[in-house]
Amino acid sequence: MTIDPRSASEIVDVCAAAIVVLGVGLAATRSIGRSIWLVAIQSALVGMAAVTVGLATGAGHLLTGGLLAIGVKGVVVPLVLGSILRRSAVRRERHPILGPRASLIAAVAIIFVATAAANGASLGASVAARSALPAAIAEVLTGLLIVMTRRKALSLVVGLLVFENGVALTAFSLTYGMPFVVELGVLFDLLIAVVVAWVYARRMLDVLGSTSTDQLRSLRG
Amino acid sequence: MIELLIALTVGIPTLAGVAAWFAGGRRATELALGGLAIALVSGLALSGLVFANGPVRALDGLVLIDAFGAYMLILVLVVAGIAVAGSPAHLAHEQEADRLRRHDAGRYYALLLWFVAGLAAVPLLDNLGLVWVGIEATTIVSALLVGFARTPDAIEAAWKYLILGSIGIGFALLGTLLLYASSVGVLGETSDALDWTRLTEIAPRLDPGLVRLAFVFALAGYGTKAGLVPFHTWLPDAHSQAPSPISALLSGAGLAVALYALARFHLVTVGALGPSFSSTLLVGFGLLSLAVALPFIVAQGDLKRLLAYSSIEHLGLATLALGFGGQLALLGFSLHLICHGLAKATVFLAAGRLVAERGSRRIGRLGDSLARSPADGRALVVAALVLAGLPPSGIFVAELAILFGGVQAGWGLAAAGAATILALAAAGLLFHVVRVSVGPAGPLGEPCASAGAWAVLLAIPLGVVVVAGLWTPSPLAAALEQVTIVLGGGGG
Repeated sequence: MTIDPRSASEIVDVCAAAIVVLGVGLAATRSIGRSIWLVAIQSALVGMAAVTVGLATGAGHLLTGGLLAIGVKGVVVPLVLGSILRRSAVRRERHPILGPRASLIAAVAIIFVATAAANGASLGASVAARSALPAAIAEVLTGLLIVMTRRKALSLVVGLLVFENGVALTAFSLTYGMPFVVELGVLFDLLIAVVVAWVYARRMLDVLGSTSTDQLRSLRG
Repeated sequence: MIELLIALTVGIPTLAGVAAWFAGGRRATELALGGLAIALVSGLALSGLVFANGPVRALDGLVLIDAFGAYMLILVLVVAGIAVAGSPAHLAHEQEADRLRRHDAGRYYALLLWFVAGLAAVPLLDNLGLVWVGIEATTIVSALLVGFARTPDAIEAAWKYLILGSIGIGFALLGTLLLYASSVGVLGETSDALDWTRLTEIAPRLDPGLVRLAFVFALAGYGTKAGLVPFHTWLPDAHSQAPSPISALLSGAGLAVALYALARFHLVTVGALGPSFSSTLLVGFGLLSLAVALPFIVAQGDLKRLLAYSSIEHLGLATLALGFGGQLALLGFSLHLICHGLAKATVFLAAGRLVAERGSRRIGRLGDSLARSPADGRALVVAALVLAGLPPSGIFVAELAILFGGVQAGWGLAAAGAATILALAAAGLLFHVVRVSVGPAGPLGEPCASAGAWAVLLAIPLGVVVVAGLWTPSPLAAALEQVTIVLGGGGG
């Protein structure tokens, strides 16, 4: 199966737009369950964009990498996070450092900043770069925003995933994806990182009785 | 031959780790000690070959070891040797205190060995993408080790480390990607487009805008892992909460390996943009790290956090030296990093025992250590004198070389500022160590069983650091000279 470059670039455009919209939703929601759903869809879209470019250019490692991303970050990781959420007493981000309204405004501001930055960079020689690079920068920043302004352990993991989505999107919009070995290493590490985070979240359940990082404030100075 | 040595250096600790995971107990200790001994011997042989015959290429160009890589390999393996040798005592004490679960010893050694294998692999790799994978892997394994005690504080420290480490490693990946994008523009999509040897060769033809951005991201990313201010907030928590042998490895070798990766980026950036851009950034962040660490050293109440902030100070100094450039400062850099690794690893072991004996990390409760636990107390005092940069020691010579090198290279003001901060930090460190060694005693605890072997373990690395300030054997001097040449941008 092949896709001609023009429709490929249209598909990537649509994916990039959807990824950005989901990022805004992720920044604005307080329900942890919903944020897991949103980040699952977002990860799958990043994978789909990679698969599309892979089909259009015949780059095998992009195709495989994209499919793996859909499977791992779109399905497995969200299922694991969901199972932790079901066992946890905390379902909502009750007292985030930045409220949902302010987060929404910040997320929209990020889109403008990212677009300006990507235009200023004027790097893109590839099909994917034009629309994907601004989206990639926006998701890196949105991920940082979520990590910095949330308190619950699961929300932080979601923020990390958004950040990683931004990085992955940067990867293939700048370079068509790196050679396959490296890409596998990247995904493999990501998988381990999440598993480790999961172990810690479980240990946190054991020790503190909830997955809130509120109680994690004793180390100072 | 070379392939075999590489396989022994990295493969044996990995396999011994797998075996230790399942074996547990006494057998795990034997596996760890044996595995590390093999890795140490073969790693030293490998480095010796590099220093004697020049850079070594192996495994279809996957591995390329130059003098700087060989130097880092020695540093990692020697510090790892100290950490592994100090582990049985730590675990025995945990066992007595009944804080160890059934499989814990095996898991501890497995993770420790994998951590060592990851750290040892990084300086062997030619591909900056794989270097990144290696550092990411060490992050994951060491996060598990930081939280090993499972106390709420340890879990908080591990959690912070994991989140901040992941963000840092993400930035490092962005930096790597941008560098790749710049090199694909020159080389096309070849498999060696991320090899730092190739990148250094073609550096003048790389897109300067992309390289500049790549270095900034690498600085933030690997800077996080190296504990540079303002990306350092995980470090004091992780170093104070981790089991002491792990703090030793993390501080002595883990930070240095992250700085190694940053140095490779720096060399490519210097080739592409000339020295001013990345050097200025390194000097700036080095000075900032020194300045921010200072008040936390002076006003510290926790012994292990004191040592952690001292690591931030010393890594800041090393970063500064890298930024200064010039032969003298770089010679100081290469002497400093290994002496710091040896001294800091030892002092973490000694401090860990003191803390275990008294059941507290508070400096006020650890007084009179010289009389109560002579071996650990003495090691603490000697290590503090060395880390404070007093003569005679390798660190004293290295600090002088770095500061004079800075003045020579035209960074007079920065060198003067660094000298002031180093003096103040030394005073702060010594003040606290005097309180611990001869200050009023806290409540009495259970003394750890003290063996002669333990005192020897602490004495050897400290002895080496002290002697390094007085006398450098000529092969060692030649080796450091070669590292300096690589860091100065000559020969790859």
